[in-house]
Parts: sequence; structure tokens; C-alpha cells
Amino acid sequence: MRRALPISLGLLAGLAFGIAPTRAEPFKCPHVGGDFTFGQEANINSLDQMTSGTISTRNIAMNMFESLMTRDENFSPILELADSLAESSDHLTYTFKLRQGVRFHNGKEMTSADVVASFDRYARIGLYRSTLGNVDRWDAPDKDTFVITLKKVQPTFLEILSSFSAPIVIVPAEEKDDPPMQLKSIGTGPWQLVESIPGGYVKLKRYDGYKPNTNFEQKTGFGGYKQACFNTVTFRIVTEPQARVAGLKTGELQGVEDLPTKSLPDLKTDQHITILPLQNWWIQISQPNTSVPPTDNLMFRKAVQAVLDMDEIMDAASDDNYRLNVGFQYPNQAFYSDAGKETYNIKDPALAKKYLAKSGYQGEPVILLTDKDYPAMYNSALVMQQQMQAVGINAQLKVVDWPTSAQMALKSDTGWNLFYTGWGTQPALGALATMQFFVEPGAVYHPKGEIDDPEILALWNDMNSLPTLQGRKEAFAKMQKYALEQVYTLPLGSLTKVQAVRSNVKGYVPYRIPRMSNVWFDH
Amino acid sequence: MGGIIIRRLGSAVPILLIVSLITFAMIHLIPGDPAAAIAGLSATQEQIANIRHDLGLDQPLLTQLWRWYAGLLHGNLGRSLLLGQPVVQATMLRLPVTLALSAYALVITLLIGLGSGIIAALRQNSWVDQVAMIFAMIGISLPNFYLGLLMIIFFAVDLRWLPTGGYIAFTDDPFGWLATSTMPAVSLALLLAGLLARITRSTMLEVLRQDYIRTARAKGLPRRLVVVKHALANALIPITTVVGIIVSLLISGSVVTETLFSIPGIGQLLTQAVLNRDYPMVQGGLFITTALLVLVNIGVDVCYALLDPRVRYDGA
Amino acid sequence: MAPDTVIALAAAGIEDDLLERHHHPAWATVRRLLHHRLFVTGLLLFSIIAIVAALAPWIAPVDPNKLAMRQKFLPPSPEHLFGTDNFGRSLWSRVVWGAQLSMIIGSAVVAINAVFGTLIGAAAGYFRSLDNVLMRINDALMAFPAVLLAIGVTAVLGPSVNDVIIALGVVYTPRTARIVRSSVIVLREMEYVQAAVAAGAGHWRILRRHILPNAMAPLIVQLSFLFAYAVLTEATLSFLGVGAVPPTPTWGNIMAEGRQYMIDAPWIITIPGAALMITVLGLNLLGDGLRDVLDPRLRIQQ
Repeated sequence: MRRALPISLGLLAGLAFGIAPTRAEPFKCPHVGGDFTFGQEANINSLDQMTSGTISTRNIAMNMFESLMTRDENFSPILELADSLAESSDHLTYTFKLRQGVRFHNGKEMTSADVVASFDRYARIGLYRSTLGNVDRWDAPDKDTFVITLKKVQPTFLEILSSFSAPIVIVPAEEKDDPPMQLKSIGTGPWQLVESIPGGYVKLKRYDGYKPNTNFEQKTGFGGYKQACFNTVTFRIVTEPQARVAGLKTGELQGVEDLPTKSLPDLKTDQHITILPLQNWWIQISQPNTSVPPTDNLMFRKAVQAVLDMDEIMDAASDDNYRLNVGFQYPNQAFYSDAGKETYNIKDPALAKKYLAKSGYQGEPVILLTDKDYPAMYNSALVMQQQMQAVGINAQLKVVDWPTSAQMALKSDTGWNLFYTGWGTQPALGALATMQFFVEPGAVYHPKGEIDDPEILALWNDMNSLPTLQGRKEAFAKMQKYALEQVYTLPLGSLTKVQAVRSNVKGYVPYRIPRMSNVWFDH
Repeated sequence: MGGIIIRRLGSAVPILLIVSLITFAMIHLIPGDPAAAIAGLSATQEQIANIRHDLGLDQPLLTQLWRWYAGLLHGNLGRSLLLGQPVVQATMLRLPVTLALSAYALVITLLIGLGSGIIAALRQNSWVDQVAMIFAMIGISLPNFYLGLLMIIFFAVDLRWLPTGGYIAFTDDPFGWLATSTMPAVSLALLLAGLLARITRSTMLEVLRQDYIRTARAKGLPRRLVVVKHALANALIPITTVVGIIVSLLISGSVVTETLFSIPGIGQLLTQAVLNRDYPMVQGGLFITTALLVLVNIGVDVCYALLDPRVRYDGA
Repeated sequence: MAPDTVIALAAAGIEDDLLERHHHPAWATVRRLLHHRLFVTGLLLFSIIAIVAALAPWIAPVDPNKLAMRQKFLPPSPEHLFGTDNFGRSLWSRVVWGAQLSMIIGSAVVAINAVFGTLIGAAAGYFRSLDNVLMRINDALMAFPAVLLAIGVTAVLGPSVNDVIIALGVVYTPRTARIVRSSVIVLREMEYVQAAVAAGAGHWRILRRHILPNAMAPLIVQLSFLFAYAVLTEATLSFLGVGAVPPTPTWGNIMAEGRQYMIDAPWIITIPGAALMITVLGLNLLGDGLRDVLDPRLRIQQ
């Protein structure tokens, strides 16, 4: 099974605290005990992990629930509640052998009947239930075996099954009919729910009956060998950034999800605080609307692409906490490719003017649709506007709030040319999830008449159906290059999210969620 | 007396009806998709559509309105889209926070406002009067969020005496509550204290000039007795009518103050609800808030009737 | 503010004063105003802001929205009078143009209130049949806490300056209407009005010649305070992030954006806040002076 390979800075920081990937012994808590309080930035509206895809829900729920398959530190699929997986020779049947002795928080032992019921609920009301569209049926021939049978061959099925966006978490069969957003918090994870006060906090405690996954030695991604070292963990909702900083400084909060960059110089000098930057939190992106002029003109889009100075934009967007990134995946991911890098960060105003002339641009207004709720969106639009105006593009800002801009961006005729947003979960989920953005329904570049670009569609089909991993990787690289050359999107750079813990907290490695397992207080 | 109460309560019903209709129309006219707000960044169209369906947001408007009124009759105001808990529960949890803060602010207002108003009236045109009125003037001119910001910069950041924000419930830690509530309460109270001081002074002056006061003084009654018994009692009438305004201003002011100091009260709840298109929360929350205000105003009217001099002197 | 207090006592004793004013020559009033200390102080303060606002294109030629990333967070200096903000924009420019916006918004809201408040208030006060309906709706609108109603209406209309003006108009017109209505109700019953009715004069004529001119005094006082509330509420809305959309340089917006940097660059907050306070203070003093001269009876009520 895969091991956690330390590539990102966050992981390097984690190494310093004693997670050496080459240890033969499974992880053991150096110190057990204590109550950990974590400052979370957003409210949660539900702990129902099957029907809620929000980050705030996932932060907590993924510490309580587990699924059949999940992702490791580099977002590659791994088994979690299964010991082994056998794929039939015709690639239509997947047979999972479930792990033995796994118990739910209510003491009940997990069997295949529970897996069946969980899948049934997901098929009924899960947020991404359409991903099971190609599944013919699932069966439980015995209490330790779960079999999925597909209708058609789908080489990417496991990648989709292991998605963590709104995963198919395994719950007791008795919860099968829980209404949407009201799933009872009974999972198999190392942490169980004590109480949840909306708008206030969620408190978890160690589940003493937890059975760690002995196929691993360390935690990795959402899975691996997990141990709950603290007695309790409290996720406190602290929406004000300054309040999180203050709480961290006084020690009221022993960890925080996000720190404003402005506070970092001061915090860096504090001996009691360890700063943990999490690189590649999301890709800051500007999406052109290719249904309306002048962004329907390829030469015009190339002009915009040519003038952009990504450093200036990302500096403003992230207060200097960023890295430039080519393409739609991050360097530590399996599918990463820099195909199309010649289109990125060109910052050549003369070239831009040439493209502008070729496009026949007459000075029509170009509307930049952004929102004031996310500083990254707002700031990047502001800077891009200036850069575009400098070469004679009549760039106008349209600033609304996030719900309005998200709604406006769903259609192509609501009066915008460039939409500012961030791709967070999708790039982490993988190349497949990300390139989904370029095909209908919901193609972000809004092709005219909602008809797919045939070349993009062909490459997308390849990504889905080519039998070899290598073949699919090459299809992705080609699709990325094509999308960038057609300027169907403008990736600006990757944002770093800065987390922090008190210095006596060891083992905390930032990831897509704050993982409370294998973290302990130094004694 | 009972007649007044029943009549006023009766007239409150059509008002609340209109309020709920206006609220419903308003929030559904607001552009922006609650499903998109909940789904957050990098949401796919399928996700947004599923959320919209699961939350019943794709039903026709009249159906949604009808359902809401039906629910209202059962005391059920729906479930908050953002918080996932019933609206009534969410509001009732946050209400005490705002009420505690408002009570604290009200105490400060009454102490400073009434106090300085009375003293200014008794020492009319002296330097005490001038100073009091200048402070009152500054009080009503200083934007409350500006005062809040200045206090944060000075007391929290520079001196580090008080926290920059957040809230500790009184039941958890009275001193912590005091620490987190003082700056918000003061910034709320200043405007109101200024208003109250000016009105109190004017009213007291007017009342002190009245014939019956002079008569009482001429009779030889001690000054303090005159002031307290007659002047103050009669001055309470217009001041009482101001209480209704003050409560309304407190709730209005709490919107900004709670946001500025991160206090989980009603004001912050409703603002976040509007910003996130949390329809059930806005509809239910505004309804509860305005119902409370209407009740307070009815209470004020009742007090006014009680304090009316014509009623009093009839009995004396 | 206290319009309900006005209502409570207006009926009690406003008759005599309204009758008196019918005979006051305008220039005598102006002279009395100019001798009133508070009024003059208020006028001075307000004029400073108004003149700065009017002269904005000349005294603040630098574009308030021009980014200059290499000059961020410069404290006030001879070169940058009020310093720069997080985008390197000139705070002097932004505050001056913000003054212009405040003046525009205040005047527009006052104008809307004057027109619609008078129309609705007079209609409700004069025509008994309309009174009930109009006042029910009026009371419903007044039952909302002002800021929340403003947030709601702005959210519906959109985040531009014009929409904020309309929203504030909607929020404050009911209060103005109430004041006009009170005056009209009292005036309607007065002898000379009854005489005109008996003589067969039309409604419109009666309103125009006899009633409205005498109802002006309380209205004018209210409008002066209203200007202050409009400016203040607009700043509050911007500060909450629901007013005119950034990067529009309203004082509230400047303070909202400056809030994150208040430790390192407090001038971004302190200066626009001070400007706001001077404006509101000036208007309040103006209102006090107007009230003292035009309508001494109202002193109890305000």
C-alpha cells in the first residue's frame, strides 16, 4: 500500500514533528490525553456527510465517518474499510473484502448489510448520486463481502468511488432512511460526536472501540492508520479572522483553520505558535464567457492571456501567500503536467496589443464579474482590470456578493465576460474531477449554444475510457494544453492557506481537512 | 386598561401580517441563489441543483408562502438553510445574547442619559449644563461603529485590557461576559444616552416651569421632594414614549455592533441570513424581531396610559 | 428623531404655534437663525464638508480608485495628505470623493422624503378614508429595525449608489410621513380652514394655500436631522458590506476595507470616521438651531 510521500511544505513541517514514513511500527500516541480546541472559520449547516459537500461539514464529519475507499496524502485512491479489492477480468465487477471487527460508535459491528444500506441511502439522496449512474447493482454475498457490478466498463470508477467531496460514508443500516441533512452521526471513525451547538461548536470525543487500519502504519490523507490521542476535540466556530488570531495567541484555541496573512509577521515571532502553511489550497481562476463578445473571440482572449502578470495578481489576491502553478493539477499529484506552460504568465503587453489588433476589438466594455466576500476574488479582479486597461481594454468591474455572482455565472446571458472564482476541491479530487468543468452540462467557458467543443469532448472521453493509466494521463495533458491554448479558462495561481497550532501540539499536518488523529500534546 | 391592551394587540395583527408579506416579497426579490451560497466555492451545477431540490427551494413561491403561514400557526418557522437548525431554536438561542447586551447598554443609557439630563436641567445654563449638552451632542453624532473601532484600537490592541471581540455567556463566566460586553454596550449606549439626556433635560425644564411646581414650591415643600415627586414623575411621560424608540434603535444598532465585535446575537444572525439568502431564517427571524418590537411599543403605550397626569391627579 | 414622541405631543399643543407662524415674515426668521450660536456652528461645519465635496475634481485630481501596489500603507505625510491604503490608493482622494457621495446621498434622500413624505402624510392627514390604509402600511414599515430594512431593500435593488438612495428613502419616508400627517390633522380642524371649506374651496387649494405652508416647520427640522441619518445609515450599510459596492469610495466602504489593517494602518479608519462625525455633528447642530428658531414648542418633543 502507498505511503505518505512528503512533498509539500506542510508535510515537511509534519516530518519535523516525528512522522517518519519509513517507520516499520504502526503509529502509537506518544502521549494520550488532553482536550484540543480548534478554531474553524465557517458555520456548519449539517453533519450529514452524504448530502453536504461544504468544507465546514467535511472538516468535522470526516473525523467521525469512514468509507469503503478514500484518498491518501497525494490524493490517490486507497482502501479504507476494505482489506482487499478484486477487479474481475471483464472490469465490470469489483469485489471488496471488508475489514473485520470494525465497530460503529453505537457498538454495532459493521457488516456488508450496513454497506449496502449506506449505498442505498446515497443512491437515493446523496449529493453526487449521479456518479452511481453507471452502477448496475450492488450485492452482499456474505457478511464480509461487498460486490459492485457496473453496466459498462469504467476505468475511472475507483477514482470516482473514492471521491471525498460528499463521500459515501458507511453508517449503520438503521440510518438508511434518515432524511437529507439529518444523518445521525454514527460512524466508524476514531472520533465520535458528543454534542453539536449550531453557530457555536461541535465537540467530539475519542471512540474507545475504534479499530485502526492495520494495512497502514501512519495516517495518510483521509485514511491510513489513525489513532485518537486527545480525549476530546472541540471545533469552535470563529468566523472573525482577528478573533482566531487572538484565540491562538491567548491559547484559548490550540489550532486554527485559517489565519489572515496580515497577522503572520507578528505570529512568526511568537515562540508558542507554530505556523503551518498549506500549499495548493485552491487555484485562483478567471473564467471567460465564450458566448458573448468580445470574449467569444479567440484573439481577444489571447490578448487578455498575454497581458496578465500572475505575480502581481496573486500577490494582491493572497497577500503574498501563493505559488505560481501551471495547469489544473499540483506537482505532487499523479496526473500533474505542465503542458501548455507557454500560455502562462506571459506578461507581454506588446504581444497583447498585437492580439488585440488582430481581434478587431473596438473598445467594447468587458465586464469582470467578481464578489466582495472573498478578498482573493475581489483583489485579483481589481489588479487584472488595471493590467487590461493598460493595453487599452475597456475593463469594467461588476462587484456583487458571492451568492449573486455564483448565480449569475451559471448562465451566459446575465451580463458578464470574466468570472472570478476558485477551484478548491476539484483539483484535489484529481484531473478527472477538474476537467469535468470543460464539458456540458455546466461547462465553465459557456460554449455557444451549449454545444461542446468536439476536440475537448473527444479528449474527455479518452480520459474516461482509455484502459491504461498512461493513456489517460496523456489524454489529460492534451486536454489541459488545448483548454489553455483556446483560453477557455485563465488559471492565475495557487493559493496557500495558512494554518497554525500551539507549539505543544505535535503531529498536526494540514490537509484538505483538519485531521485530529495522530495529533498529540507534547508533555 | 385591559381594553387598551386588547385593542392594541388587535391592531398588531394586521401589522405583523403586512410585515411578513413584505419580508417574503423582499427576500425572494433579492438576486442570488441560496443553494449557490451553501454549496460554496467550486460547486458543480449538479451539486447546486441537488441542494436546491433537497431544500424545497424549487417549489412555486405561493406554495412556499402558504407552507410558511401554515407552519406559523403551529409555531414552526422552518429550518435555517445555513445553520441546519429550526429557525425558532436558532433565534431563541441568540435572543438572550442580544437582550443581555441591550440590557447592559440600556442601564448605561439610563444612568448617563437620565442622570446628566436631570442635572443639566436643575443647573440650567451653568457650565455643568453646557458640558453635559456638548457630550450629548457628540454622543448622537458619533457613528457607533466608529466608536467601536476606536475603542478596539485603543483598549484591545494598544492597552490589551479587553479582548478584540467574541462573546462569553454570563452563565459561563460573569467577568468574561463583562469583559466582552463592555465595549459593545458602550458603543451602543452612547448615541442613546445622548438622545435621552437631551430629551430629559428639555422635558424637565418644561415641567419645572409648570404652574403646579411653582405652587408646590411656594407652599414650602423641600426642593428635592418637589423634583422627585412631581417633576420627575411627569417628565417620565415623554421619556417613556422614547423607550420604544430606544429599543428599536438598540436592535438596529446591535446589527453593526454584533458584527463588529463578533457577538452571536440576533443582529448578526439576521445580517448573515440576508447575506447568505437563508430565506427561512430571514423570514422567521425578522418576524420574531418585529413582533417583539411591536409588543414593546404596546407595553410603552400601556405605561404611558398609566403615567398620564390626568389619570394620576384624578386619583390623588 | 423621536417621531413618535412628536406624535404624542404634537396634537397636545401645536395649534398656537402653527397659527403664529402663519404671520412670521421669512427674513426675520433668517436673521434669528444667523444669531443662533449653535445654528451657525453647525452651518460652518457642514459647509466645510459640502464645499470640499463640491470642489472634489479640483482638490483631489488623483483617481480614488487608482492602484499603486508599491505605495501601500504609507502614513499621512506632506506628499500623501491622508496616507495610502492597502492598494496604495490615495486616502485623501478617497475621503474627498467620499464626501461628495455623502452629500449626494444625503440630499437625494432628503428630497425623496420631502416629496413623498409630504404627499403621503398630507393625504393620510387630510383624507380620512386613506388614513387607515396608509398608516397600517406605514406602521408595518416602521416596525422593521431601520438598518435591517435598509439591508433588505438594498439587497433587492442592488449595490449601487442609486439603489442605496432608494432604500434609505423607503426606510425613512414613513417617519417623515407621520410628522406631516400630525401637522395636517391638527391644521385641518382649524377655524380658517373650516371657513375655506364652507366657502367651497377645493381640496387641493386648501392644502396648498392653508395647510401645507404651516406644516413646513416641523418638516424642515426633521429633514435636517434626516440628512444626518441618511449619511450615517449609508456609512453603516457600507461598513457592513451591504451598501454601495466597493471600490466606490464611500466613507463606510473605506472604513470597512481598512478594518483588517487597523493595527498597522489605523489612519484608514480614523480619518473617514472623523469626517463622518463632523458632517453628522454639523447637521445635528443645524437641526437644533432650526428647531429652536422655527418651532420652540418642539424642543420638548425632540
